Amino acid sequence: MQKVRLAVLGCGAVAQINHLPAISASELAEAAVVVDADAARAREVAARFGVPETATDYREVVGRVDGAVVALPNSLHAPVAVDLLRQGVAVLGEKPMALSLRECDEMIAAADASGAALAVGLDFRFFDSTRFVKDLLAEGLLGELRSFDLRQGVIPRWPFATDFLLRKETAGGGVLTDFGVHVLDLLLVWLGDWESVDYRDDAMGGLESDCELRLRMLSGLEGTAEVSRTRNLRNTCIFEGDRASLEVGIWHPDPPITLRFGRREIGLAGKARRPGAPELSYLDVFVRQIDDFATAIREGREPFIPGREGRRSQALIEACYAARKPLDVPWLEPAELAGWRAGA
Amino acid sequence: MIDLRGRKVFVTGATGGIGGRLVERLVRHHGADVRVLIRNPSSAARLARFPLTFHMGDVTRSEDLDRAIRGSELVFHCAYGTTGSQKHHAWVNRVGTERVLEAAHRAGAARVVHLSTLMVYGRTGDGDLDETAPRRRFGNAYSDSKLEAEAMALQYSRSGRVPVAVLQPTAVYGPYGGVWTTKPLQALKAGRQILVNGGDGFANAVYVDDLVSAMLLASVKDGAAGEAFLISGPEPVSWRELYERFARMLGPGPERTVSMTAAEARAHYRKHQRETAHVHQELLRHFKQDQAFRDRLMATRELFALREMASSILPEGLQQKIKGRMSGNAFASPPRAGGELPILPLTPEMVDFYIPKTRVRIDKARRILGYEPAFSLKRGMELTEQWARWADLV
Repeated sequence: MQKVRLAVLGCGAVAQINHLPAISASELAEAAVVVDADAARAREVAARFGVPETATDYREVVGRVDGAVVALPNSLHAPVAVDLLRQGVAVLGEKPMALSLRECDEMIAAADASGAALAVGLDFRFFDSTRFVKDLLAEGLLGELRSFDLRQGVIPRWPFATDFLLRKETAGGGVLTDFGVHVLDLLLVWLGDWESVDYRDDAMGGLESDCELRLRMLSGLEGTAEVSRTRNLRNTCIFEGDRASLEVGIWHPDPPITLRFGRREIGLAGKARRPGAPELSYLDVFVRQIDDFATAIREGREPFIPGREGRRSQALIEACYAARKPLDVPWLEPAELAGWRAGA
Repeated sequence: MIDLRGRKVFVTGATGGIGGRLVERLVRHHGADVRVLIRNPSSAARLARFPLTFHMGDVTRSEDLDRAIRGSELVFHCAYGTTGSQKHHAWVNRVGTERVLEAAHRAGAARVVHLSTLMVYGRTGDGDLDETAPRRRFGNAYSDSKLEAEAMALQYSRSGRVPVAVLQPTAVYGPYGGVWTTKPLQALKAGRQILVNGGDGFANAVYVDDLVSAMLLASVKDGAAGEAFLISGPEPVSWRELYERFARMLGPGPERTVSMTAAEARAHYRKHQRETAHVHQELLRHFKQDQAFRDRLMATRELFALREMASSILPEGLQQKIKGRMSGNAFASPPRAGGELPILPLTPEMVDFYIPKTRVRIDKARRILGYEPAFSLKRGMELTEQWARWADLV
């Protein structure tokens, strides 16, 4: 069967580390062209991954490919996706889907109008652990849920090609937009929609590096989520139910999961597994994502994470920023802390 | 209050603990228009909270510096070598400083504040130490290259090319601190720290905010150019006091320090060297081949040492993988209840480092800069603990 032809827009870190290796490994898709404003980088990356063509303008891909992976700076996600979708090119957009709900809606409308597939790159949904936890919660194994507590913090060592992430105009937001979108999406997958949010972060005229949410879900369940780029936190989500508690690692495709009944000493620790399946790697996850996207294009079906699903975490992020209060930083001396709390 | 409103200030090493706090204060308290040079945006999250001007580049490349420094009146040079080999660190310290000085000269900067170190005095003795003491090699790449960099900075200033003030801080601790904050906390979690001669040598610790205050003063005070200033806290502090403060943050548990004479500490190091000569290779082989071994290893506190090592030598992909495996869960990383922590070996160099009762004098900084340390060890450590708790370090 002929492979689905894809363009990869942007030759930065995520294209080189995740998307292009995944496309190379996929049975269903092939990279026909890579695009980067930096022509030399595009040629270098194309040579490394055996991609036949390069371009410096994304518009050159129209008519040459079936779909495009948009791995550009955040501020370009929506405008480029909308333009391509309108011209019938399917889009797999990196997270965050866009920088506002308005942009999300434009993307969804463009996809609906042309019938081109729009997939959002919230790849954590492809983890088996994500599905397993969802099923486990839905089956009521923990009893009635009382709280959740998610802490995600990694001092990153990602080899960024540019500094777009440090500028408000290109990044859109800080850690909540960049890392946080993944974990908020997980919470929405696991717990359903949210009702209200109390939000704090440490931005001082720039982009937040640390943030904390107090979230109330439509179910009435309340919990906390913390996301950090300056601290190595436990990187798990803990659910407390009236019968049992569950802790699942996040930020890795094959995390440890533990289950414990009340305060009983003996619990169960293990991994989510399909029968006979080996350990899940990031490459596997990105191949799943590419295969899903390619299948959606070929069969004209909706991708696993369509635009309206990507929109859900964007709505929460937008509500957070609108409700923003300063994060408490108790290691400052009283005078400085008072100014900080006043947002001065 | 130093008013830097609207004044352009350039900072190197801004992603570090000292540079990060300096930028924070420059922006929030002094209204400065700050530009920074960064190598990897990944490490600049703390800086991106402020509306700064970011320049990607390397402190050893003149073209990067010229672009970033343009129009700056004040320059703070905090960068030092942190990646690659010791030899490379030393090269960055020497060449980076030279290039920063040249770029500041070309840009017509009014003042450069060069961050040096107490280590430029080499192995110090008991009793008072002030800036008239001879500079001496300590014998490691960091100290010796900082010594050369400092000499270059003072020479640059005295020859009239650009006014440079040099600060020589002692052990700097505080929020976001590395060498004298995060590392001791991680070490004390992993094993027992040897207190040489009961830890009665002097640490001369200084809280990061006091150092930043001194740096700000050095950037504007008349008479600071061409001069070096020792910067320490208000009182001499013994290594025992310092380590016990950190140990207390970690709460009740096993003994985290152990007293030894210098001879005992050196003997312990030799014994440790003999016993572990082949362990590293063996570990790596098992690590690669044995899943069960990996899983068990991940649950040990010794892993922290490996993580440190891994972060400097392993490729990004593998690091991500390892990080994922270490994602915590309720049963991993159990503290071995009742068990004794292993004694962490000290290199002979560090044994020597911990011995002297050197009393660092800050009279010159007081006199010329108007520097007055505001944080006692007690207060500084209280604030540090607040941060460490938040940062999940204790």
